[in-house]
Amino acid sequence: MPRIDADLKLDFKDVLLRPKRSSLKSRSEVDLERTFTFRNSKQTYSGIPIIVANMDTVGTFEMAVVMSQHAMFTAVHKHYSLDDWKCFAETHPECLQHVAVSSGSGQNDLERMSRILEAVPQVKFICLDVANGYSEHFVEFVKLVRSKFPEHTIMAGNVVTGEMVEELILSGADIIKVGVGPGSVCTTRTKTGVGYPQLSAVIECADSAHGLKGHIISDGGCTCPGDVAKAFGAGADFVMLGGMFSGHTECAGEVIERNGQKLKLFYGMSSDTAMKKHAGGVAEYRASEGKTVEVPYKGDVENTILDILGGLRSTCTYVGAAKLKELSRRATFIRVTQQHNTVFG
Amino acid sequence: MPHIDNDVKLDFKDVLLRPKRSTLKSRSEVELTRSFSFRNSKQMYSGIPVIAANMDTVGTFEMARVLCKFSLFTAIHKHYSIHQWQEFASQNPDCLECLAASSGSGSADFEQLEQILEAIPQVKYICLDVANGYSEHFVEFVKDVRKRFPQHTIMAGNVVTGEMVEELILSGADIIKVGIGPGSVCTTRKKTGVGYPQLSAVMECADAAHGLKGHIISDGGCSCPGDVAKAFGAGADFVMLGGMLAGHSESGGELIERDGKKYKLFYGMSSEMAMKKYSGGVAEYRASEGKIVEVPFKGDVEHTIRDILGGIRSTCTYVGAAKLKELSRRTTFIRVTQQVNPIFSNSQ
Repeated sequence: MPRIDADLKLDFKDVLLRPKRSSLKSRSEVDLERTFTFRNSKQTYSGIPIIVANMDTVGTFEMAVVMSQHAMFTAVHKHYSLDDWKCFAETHPECLQHVAVSSGSGQNDLERMSRILEAVPQVKFICLDVANGYSEHFVEFVKLVRSKFPEHTIMAGNVVTGEMVEELILSGADIIKVGVGPGSVCTTRTKTGVGYPQLSAVIECADSAHGLKGHIISDGGCTCPGDVAKAFGAGADFVMLGGMFSGHTECAGEVIERNGQKLKLFYGMSSDTAMKKHAGGVAEYRASEGKTVEVPYKGDVENTILDILGGLRSTCTYVGAAKLKELSRRATFIRVTQQHNTVFG
Repeated sequence: MPHIDNDVKLDFKDVLLRPKRSTLKSRSEVELTRSFSFRNSKQMYSGIPVIAANMDTVGTFEMARVLCKFSLFTAIHKHYSIHQWQEFASQNPDCLECLAASSGSGSADFEQLEQILEAIPQVKYICLDVANGYSEHFVEFVKDVRKRFPQHTIMAGNVVTGEMVEELILSGADIIKVGIGPGSVCTTRKKTGVGYPQLSAVMECADAAHGLKGHIISDGGCSCPGDVAKAFGAGADFVMLGGMLAGHSESGGELIERDGKKYKLFYGMSSEMAMKKYSGGVAEYRASEGKIVEVPFKGDVEHTIRDILGGIRSTCTYVGAAKLKELSRRTTFIRVTQQVNPIFSNSQ
């Protein structure tokens, strides 16, 4: 018999953070840097834990250059060649501590990633990304990668429930990517009916991960700096962004001009567009699970970064957190029915 | 005294499926074909249990020809003549096992149904469809049809509650159509205030039907492949689609061109449009309970079918079901307040 879980699960749009008394005098006093030691790799990380998603439009080397200047992180997409990587490593050695090499669970991906990690040993992060992190095949793959790279920090996902977070951590992953279907260009929920509201997923998965001294990334669903703050408040150690970083100079693809408006293409990595580009089309037995949109061109990503970090600092002052680290301890979410006054849109 | 049922009944939009651990490696490993043996007709069925609705825009012979290639089912609408049936049967003998002949509960409908089934004995399914399956008259009608056709598989509806599912099965129906008012061109809920959220209706009716070894069809309310998956997850044996299959080359009606855009007409079978077409207008004592929409032309239905089947295969891999049969056993629904991130919904 099918079962219905009675308690309602929540999205970012269902909550706001309750203000709390604070002794902070200015937003500028807030420290957004975090330091982590990872459970399995034993590596130590320090930086502002916001990650550019490993999508071929946003997870670019150009993006990584700007991000690393702010101590932010980039999961570089898996479609760069070994030569692209060597060239990047030579010209931008300062960026390498803030990037991850990505791979799916296929044999070709793994071989390509292994060559990159051998050629560029300064890269210490691996991002293992599959649509459905629940398959036993993926668990085996994580174990294999852990045994091949014992000292690299492994991000793995995506999943949305505590028991699978635990399984992946115990299989060798350090940081679990959390999110099924919340992304702005993801159509998994429409195509399959499968998913989990992101705020509840982050709260539940963070709890499981932290119990094992593991970490999580909230991946997808953030549409504004306030959502990023809510994700950290819910317990995310890292927040990964795709749509919010799309449409910038540093994104892949040309600027399109139409009716005097400048646009850039953004699409999900299982969309028709991506599957045509990288796999020669959508296979017969599957549906595309992503969409393609034209987003307004927003100029350099620097401005967007400052907007996000400024928003986060302001959140911290509202709830009295002197450091990003304290945000989740100071977070009380209240349930709401609307986010903002819509009278002027 | 009016009585209020206090637990909230749910629609597809109120839930998502929770992913579960899975040993499947690829969507291509998922088996969508199901086999059933029906309670009263004792007939066997095997196929992918998705049904094109018996609406004159969707349940066409052209649709049936494509759907049967994918082993999907078509409930042919009741407005084809016996000659059209004979012509189709002679040209497409392979499709006949994947379709049903439809009828309302009127005697003219029933006579036409008898003629068709006598002329084409390979058609083994009957779809008895009335707006309100709760009338005693309909129960008697189902009994009469069962007596007249003891070995045909009878689909009957529509109802939305367990006790009426049981009554119709015990009266001779094999498969009960479940759904009142969820359809995209149905206005019953607006015109009458009557209805039942589709997900809860399916869960409750499936439970009632399966207890008697009967089967159900979730009829209406699916707006995307994910909804089809949720209907199966909730326990539906079959899922019937109207709006999702509307607007294709194989759908009934002419192609309309306006401002360089192509459309096709789609309407409910109790809409003014349908009533004018088939009964010379809306009778004085009743309101139309359907609407007329122009849907964007979507080309050949084959693409839509692949999209739906691909979606369900993906659902099965997410919840660890190697077969469609296992989907409802592997289903846990979680309650949600929104389905998708709407941020780019206007910039496709």
